[in-house]
Amino acid sequence: MKTSFDHAKSAARFIADKERAHWHDQALWFVRQKRDKAVKSIPEMEELRRAAEEIKSHTMEYLGYYLELFEERANANGIEVYWASDASEHNAIVAKLLEEYGAKRVVKSKSMLTEECGLNPYLENLGIEVTDTDLGERIVQLAKDHPSHIVLPAIHLKKEDVSKIFSKYLHTDPAKSDPEYLTHAARHHLRRKFKEADAAVTGVNFALAKEGAFVVCTNEGNADLGAALPDLHIACMGIEKVIPSAKELGVFTRLLARSATGQAITTYTSHFRKPKPGGRVCVVIVDNGRSGLLEGENSKTLSCIRCGACMNTCPVYRRSGGHSYGYVIPGPIGSVLAGAKDVSTYASLPFACTLCASCDNVCPVKIDLHERLRHERKEAIKVSKYTSKRVFLHMAAWVLQRPGLYSALMATMRFVLPHIPRSILYNRFNIWGREREMPMPAKKSFKDLYNERTR
Amino acid sequence: MSARDKIFDALKDRRRTPSFFPVPKVNHSVFDDRVAIFSQNVKAAGGEVVMLKNPYRDEIVKHFPKEGEVVDTREEVSSIPYKDEIDLAIIEAEFGVAENGAVWIDPKERYPREFLTLSENIAVVLKKDAIVDTMHEAYGRIDLFGVSYALFMAGPSKTADIEQALVVGAHGAMCMKVFLY
Ligand code: SF4
Repeated sequence: MKTSFDHAKSAARFIADKERAHWHDQALWFVRQKRDKAVKSIPEMEELRRAAEEIKSHTMEYLGYYLELFEERANANGIEVYWASDASEHNAIVAKLLEEYGAKRVVKSKSMLTEECGLNPYLENLGIEVTDTDLGERIVQLAKDHPSHIVLPAIHLKKEDVSKIFSKYLHTDPAKSDPEYLTHAARHHLRRKFKEADAAVTGVNFALAKEGAFVVCTNEGNADLGAALPDLHIACMGIEKVIPSAKELGVFTRLLARSATGQAITTYTSHFRKPKPGGRVCVVIVDNGRSGLLEGENSKTLSCIRCGACMNTCPVYRRSGGHSYGYVIPGPIGSVLAGAKDVSTYASLPFACTLCASCDNVCPVKIDLHERLRHERKEAIKVSKYTSKRVFLHMAAWVLQRPGLYSALMATMRFVLPHIPRSILYNRFNIWGREREMPMPAKKSFKDLYNERTR
Repeated sequence: MSARDKIFDALKDRRRTPSFFPVPKVNHSVFDDRVAIFSQNVKAAGGEVVMLKNPYRDEIVKHFPKEGEVVDTREEVSSIPYKDEIDLAIIEAEFGVAENGAVWIDPKERYPREFLTLSENIAVVLKKDAIVDTMHEAYGRIDLFGVSYALFMAGPSKTADIEQALVVGAHGAMCMKVFLY
């Protein structure tokens, strides 16, 4: 990603197609409404959110302990555990495991981590065929595109787009764009991929320290089918995915699907504790910046269970699309994570936010997302592209501390502003004027009016 | 330094043994009529509940339209890897969860794991009195130390990845029925 990346610019491309942008907004709002309904159906929702927050912060405090316990217990169960400091180590480990095995074809279920690490292109370069088996991910993979949402990867595409993609690659009837027809065509195509596969790669939703097991949640059943057929199953997880034990799953399984899609639970909530007879299970645990994040102000973002609720509710995400963020995870949580990773590249992201805090209110683990975004703004403003904004804000702060000067300046502005030519007022240093019209100043200030009334 | 050492070094202040384990206390819902709530939620998950006094294989098969390969996993099943489609797999569930219609299935390696996803139709057999209120009781009941692979299954496989339209039968079962006895 180049430093010239700018959310407002890429969002402008997205909203150029007004009809599609509106449709996108509505589609996500529909998911948000389903979430609301599901959440309201359980009176103890707030208690659950608090419990989830507590469990996560406890686990983060003792993260080293729980990871070690997980490793020990998983090993005892016959699961191999590998560690990777960063994305390239992660990719190298997965590749090595596959190559040792002579695996040429891999089926993969959804994992934002492998997306973050760029696993697919890495393996493809080595001549390994990777098939994303989650329907949404398969669609974007065939389209040589990227997921625009962490739960609904193809939410930016319409059924007609999918029909076009499938008719090209799966030879479906280009005249048909019925979702059922398209889904079943994909089922047929992917069944073959599953049967041919030499290995499966899955993500991990929760790793259970005490039991040395891990849990994968899907609606499609692709993780289960993938893990069951070939003999090698590689599960990739970030260090933050561990929780103390299965008991805490009572809380998380009640929250995850309700927050994500408004379902009471995902269709498959699968617990892997031992390899199948004759099989091999390898877990790759990745840091990739997470341990650093843990020591900083944004440590709470590590509690994220990747439900996507903050995206569905975000007025900016819904109207600008996931790709406008230029980062693997979009929306409120993505903006914070991207900024924590590389503040100069992603400096525009914390400003893609109205600070409405709707995300805080839906987040099942109660991450204070809007506070995080505000914090990221403080960091982003230091980046050179925001120099004029920073200088102006410093000036404003200086003036605001001097009431006499402020009143005098305001009185002058009220008189002068209406007479300034547009070309000067909307000069290139006025970054607020880029997308906005300045309101015309009132004739009298509030203070003047107040003084007149109370006289 | 190995990656493992690097990670644990970064976490060195977080390696002490916690003096307590978080036991989240949540005052949760209890249902008067668990069977009714369970049935409602199986339906919401795209499945169906059938009351059946005697869940014999022949009785169950009648509830599925197509004649074909039927595997009753309650009987001895060959452990030969099975990569062809099965039309109907009959599976015993240990218990169900009222709040979401999920059933806990533990194959105990008695039959290949893929039976659960390769089969076109799934018939789950479940005792009426083995339904708990919520996931809290569910996890209170499970002893994962005795499990190698087990899952909660709620309805048939589904997706809404194309324009949010719900389609049943993404990868796993196209049809799932729970037989309560
Ligand atoms: S930040 Fe919260 S709402 Fe957003 S994806 Fe993560 S858990 Fe869900």
